[in-house]
Amino acid sequence: MNFRAFKTVFFKEVLENARDKRTVMSSIVMGALFGPILLVIIINTTINMQQDKAEQALEVPVINQTGANHLMQFLTAQDVDIVDFEGSPEEAIKNKEHDVVLAISDNFSQRFNQGQPAKVKLYHDASAKGTAKVSVNRLRSLLNAYERSIGTQRLQLRGISPNLINVIMIEEHDQATKESRGSMLLAALPYFLIMGLFMGSMYLAIDTTAGEKERKSLEPLFLNPVKRDTILAGKLAATVAFGLLTLVLTIVAFKLTLPWYPFEKLGMRFNMDLQVILIMFLVLAPLALLAGAIQTIIAAFAQSYREAQTYVGFVLIVPMIPSMLLMFMPIKESLWMMAVPVLGQNLVVNELMRGEMVAWDAIAMAVGGTLIVGLALAWIAVKLYNREKMLFAD
Amino acid sequence: MISVENISKSFGKVTAVDNVSLEAPDGKITALLGANGAGKTTSMRMIYALIKPEDGQVIVDGINTHEDPVAARARMGVLPDARGLYKRLTARENIVYFGRLQGMADSKIKDRCEELVDRLGMGSFIDRKTEGFSQGQRVKVAIARALIHDPQNILLDEPTNGLDVMSTRAIRRFLKEQRALGKCILFSSHVMQEVSAVCDEITIIDGGKIVASGSEMQLREKTGSENLEDAFVSLVGGEKLS
Repeated sequence: MNFRAFKTVFFKEVLENARDKRTVMSSIVMGALFGPILLVIIINTTINMQQDKAEQALEVPVINQTGANHLMQFLTAQDVDIVDFEGSPEEAIKNKEHDVVLAISDNFSQRFNQGQPAKVKLYHDASAKGTAKVSVNRLRSLLNAYERSIGTQRLQLRGISPNLINVIMIEEHDQATKESRGSMLLAALPYFLIMGLFMGSMYLAIDTTAGEKERKSLEPLFLNPVKRDTILAGKLAATVAFGLLTLVLTIVAFKLTLPWYPFEKLGMRFNMDLQVILIMFLVLAPLALLAGAIQTIIAAFAQSYREAQTYVGFVLIVPMIPSMLLMFMPIKESLWMMAVPVLGQNLVVNELMRGEMVAWDAIAMAVGGTLIVGLALAWIAVKLYNREKMLFAD
Repeated sequence: MISVENISKSFGKVTAVDNVSLEAPDGKITALLGANGAGKTTSMRMIYALIKPEDGQVIVDGINTHEDPVAARARMGVLPDARGLYKRLTARENIVYFGRLQGMADSKIKDRCEELVDRLGMGSFIDRKTEGFSQGQRVKVAIARALIHDPQNILLDEPTNGLDVMSTRAIRRFLKEQRALGKCILFSSHVMQEVSAVCDEITIIDGGKIVASGSEMQLREKTGSENLEDAFVSLVGGEKLS
């Protein structure tokens, strides 16, 4: 390969695109800063809302309060703010007027006095997001506590040891470490890192191929005594370089925004030291080659800049898939998964965030697997331009 | 020296170029004259080895363009139909980029660039970004870019298309200078006055086929016409009433 020509193409593309403010804005500002800043805002807002809800006096709308005076006294003593409720509890929950509504049945006191299970209805929406669950859980545990205390008293009155009904004693040992709790909140981090990298190379992939075709400069360029492979390799290298630059900036942005994450409030720790940063970069870097190559291949088939933008935009969905899977499904990690591009990177970054030492064979698999797929795609991208159809926009 | 031997090309069912042959000797300006859609651009693209002919071959200074396109391209300077300058680069950066791709040393590029700035009159805009350049400025930069390596063979696709009188004259003068230096110049056009004004040899193409070739005089004598335009019309089968 003609190395001087490769270098010439590489530096020309870097210079030309660095002069394009739009490319710089979209790759650096959007790609690198958007993710970290959005994550800080989301995490802080959620945590503050949850904490407020947990500390506030619980407000419980009750239907037919007078039916269970003793229970109401108990709840009031537990700092619950009881309000009278009239109307349809179903509607109130549906319209999100209340998180929870408690309805006392008409025969509550009668059954209570007979020592029969007395019914209360708890209206809530189990699929509700955010803080509604906090209210429901607080009320439910208060009702359980009331039930236990009355039950104990009844048994004692009859001279029976309340221990007889405590068949099992559950002692919970939560094995979540501080770091692993933190990683649940930071599950979006690998996605933002990978997405930044895809966004960083996107505009160059389009500009150096479909853009050049649209501006009709591809034909004169290919008339130079340089193999098309070499020219395309130079273009791809520039595309990958912008992806890598965005990756570095995204990692730096995360490191710098770390102090704004409310780790202490939640008793968590996330240690992003130099070693973690270097492993992150090492594992994610081959993905820049893969991203640049896929985007170049797709842009090659587009006839215009706009068309290429639409197609290449779809590719941004690819890094979402493994991140989404890992967020919702507990997947048991095994070594082969590391070799799957994007998935491997997600797993390694997740492990780093949980504070685990990532095994070197896992890192080697993640780097090697992505590199092989990336090189194969780069080869296809470069060879694609030997086809005459790819040369003209008309 | 360029010799084209029986090249053909079709796109799907349409035959764009059918068995075209021509000779462009050194020290002469040869024209490929034809109406729009006659197959000029496709022929030129095959001659400068951008696309492969299905049949036949193109020999440039003894090099078969199909067998060794890279070496053949080094012997040619081409102004294609698509001018395509990089608008975020200055005129000089555009020219230097191609000089480096031609494998020239930076010092040589600099000297040759100065020479072309002089000859084509680009002094007032050479260090400006090419965005917003006039048609004439763009063609001059594109020509300078194509000829930075001082090639023996110069191929131009409709070089004066859309240019004003002053730019047209500047380019004609430049081509005549190049001819005097013994270069082989092949140029495609559909403009009769243009061909009449600068060309020594004329090859007429119509419907992808060569219909005649010779000097302007020979073509006029052959058809008994007073000017090239009449000769052309009679050679391509008369005026079609539409």
